[in-house]
Amino acid sequence: MSIPTLQGLQTALSGLLAEQQALDVTGNNIANSDTEGYSRETVLLRPSLPLNIPAISSRTGEGAQLGTGVSVETINRIRNSYLDAQYRTQSSALSGASTESEELTQAQAAFNEPSSSAIASQLSKFWGAWSELANAPASEAAKQGVVGAGQQLAEMLHEVSAQLSTISTQAGEQYAALAGPSGEVQDDASQIAQLNGQIRLAEEAGEPPNEMLDQRDLLLDKLSSLAQVTVVKQPDGTDTVSFGDAAKPLVEGTTLNWPQALTPAAGGRLGTLLGLTAPGGALASYQAALDNVADTLASSVNALHTATPFFSGTTAATLQVAVTAAQVQTSSTEGVGGNDVAIAIAGLRGGAAEQGYAALVEQVGGNVRGARDEQSNLQSTVTAIGNQRQSVSGVSLDEEMTNLISFQRGYQASARTLTAMDSMLETLIEHTGIAGL
Amino acid sequence: MSERITPTMLTSSTLNGLNASLAALERTSDELSSGKKILEPSDNPYGTSRAIDLQSQLDGLSSYASNVQEGISWENTSSSAMANMSNVLESVRELLVRAPNGTYNAGDLGHMAAEVEQLTEAVKQDANTQYAGQYVFAGTMTTTAPYPQGAEDAYQGNTGTIARAIGPGLSVTVNTDMSALLGNGQGAADGKLFDTLRTISEHLKGATPADVAALGSSDLTSLEGSIEALTQMQATAGSVTDQLQTAASRIEGLQGTITAGLSNIEDTNVAEVSIAYSTEQAAYEAALRAGASIVQESLLQFLN
Repeated sequence: MSIPTLQGLQTALSGLLAEQQALDVTGNNIANSDTEGYSRETVLLRPSLPLNIPAISSRTGEGAQLGTGVSVETINRIRNSYLDAQYRTQSSALSGASTESEELTQAQAAFNEPSSSAIASQLSKFWGAWSELANAPASEAAKQGVVGAGQQLAEMLHEVSAQLSTISTQAGEQYAALAGPSGEVQDDASQIAQLNGQIRLAEEAGEPPNEMLDQRDLLLDKLSSLAQVTVVKQPDGTDTVSFGDAAKPLVEGTTLNWPQALTPAAGGRLGTLLGLTAPGGALASYQAALDNVADTLASSVNALHTATPFFSGTTAATLQVAVTAAQVQTSSTEGVGGNDVAIAIAGLRGGAAEQGYAALVEQVGGNVRGARDEQSNLQSTVTAIGNQRQSVSGVSLDEEMTNLISFQRGYQASARTLTAMDSMLETLIEHTGIAGL
Repeated sequence: MSERITPTMLTSSTLNGLNASLAALERTSDELSSGKKILEPSDNPYGTSRAIDLQSQLDGLSSYASNVQEGISWENTSSSAMANMSNVLESVRELLVRAPNGTYNAGDLGHMAAEVEQLTEAVKQDANTQYAGQYVFAGTMTTTAPYPQGAEDAYQGNTGTIARAIGPGLSVTVNTDMSALLGNGQGAADGKLFDTLRTISEHLKGATPADVAALGSSDLTSLEGSIEALTQMQATAGSVTDQLQTAASRIEGLQGTITAGLSNIEDTNVAEVSIAYSTEQAAYEAALRAGASIVQESLLQFLN
């Protein structure tokens, strides 16, 4: 028994084709080395089915198997789904912390402390104006000074209160935009549902849909910044995606369930926005504390300014100076020179209103600091997990260049084999069979 | 297998490092240029609230300091008015001592009566002393002259008190109730100074032996009572001035302490921060240099 004459050509050809495909994959890796979400691919090569050659041994008459070259089994996508899950959990937390720190920083900026033109300093000027009035109780200018300082203080309280409301409103709008009908959640989830369908078809056809898998993973990464995402991989290749604390899965096969209600426990950007704007949330508590400062100020001044209330309103947004300069009361007894009321009001300096305000500023500052610390901790974690993912799935140019050389050499060698086979056949065809002619 | 390192990892970690260095540099430069180490409450939440408290205390102290200066000026004004009155009363007393010694005739006594009336007007003038447009001896009716010039001697003010706050919950009364000394005149027959002075004047004008005798006895006694009362008032005013001056130096001391405390909390320690700035600058430059050479390295450079 002998070997088929042209088998050598086939073997060399399979080598050429395999090396070419490997080169293509390497080229694709290099081309995508900076593509977001791309997972590197490798060619899985397998020896082709061998030829059974019976009774090849002239001595024992035993057969043997002869290799027939190489074939490409599949193109592998290098990815670790455990790292993906970890990455998404931490990225949700990070995005929540970043959102919190952004929003609270805005609230902190609204207070504009420490500064010589913010509420604390205006409050101090207000007490100072009363003290000046106490030295010149009959002076119209000093009374005007008290009214003016009171009005400025009230305006500042209005302004900060309005800014806090705006921040809260904008956070609500942000949530509505992200979770709304044409928002990011809807957008990403519908793409995932669509990809689920396409991936299922490709899997059924036995073609590994690497690029679509990359796209789907990238969309899941994006979703995870909005709320906690849990992915369950189904046998048919589809992903079932749970989103935040929504009752039903966001995506199940090709079905999309959105919009659904979320709570602050959803995590991510959306959960944080809900938490901040909730009735007991940080922004509402700042607003309430500021209202309390305004109320304390008004009631403590009014309790001493007995002739007619100096301030009207009980919230930061509604506080007003309710008297004209002529109505400013300096004394509890008659006589324009009396100053016991002015002294008592000036003596409110450092009292409950001021302490309440200082405590509020401290609370805001503490919250911002906490959010920033959390953000930077989570940032390190996310960077570390991201690096691990990169280490597994990222394209290393050094590695690709090495592979490139190796595949190129392989291709050249297969070509050389082909040449050798060809010259062997040439000898057979051209130089034999003419004997005796 | 050891961990694979990809160029993306290198560039992103280089970039992160550069960002962090630059952020630190920016922060330090902000601290240096503003001179403050608390730029927003989150830099030091407790420090911020403490700084608000201390700043208010400091503003309060400067209010107290100006109250004290006001108080001292007020006291000085009233004290010099009372000193004038004291001199006037001394002159009247001399008259009273001289008048009954029998060497003066009715005409002389009449002249003395005129002198007493002039001195009475002088007392009124002093009683109407003003400080910064306010009558200091009118109680709280500071825009009303307490004893208008003329024959009417009734007190026009009230007995209200005027105080100056010189510390938290601490105030001193700066006005003196002059009506307790001067009274409401002869009409009220209250035995106070104006009543006494008018009576003296009447006795001098009357010039009967009984009148003259009264000058040396009951009138002198009443007058000396008034002089004694005035001395008491001067002593009280003097002690208020002392109290105010003590408060002034106490406030000055506190201002120093609190300013130092505030500066400790919110001011940049320039020497320390400058050193940190140089260190961070060096770190940033090193990061740039390393980044620039590492990011360029690749196998590609060595292949032909």
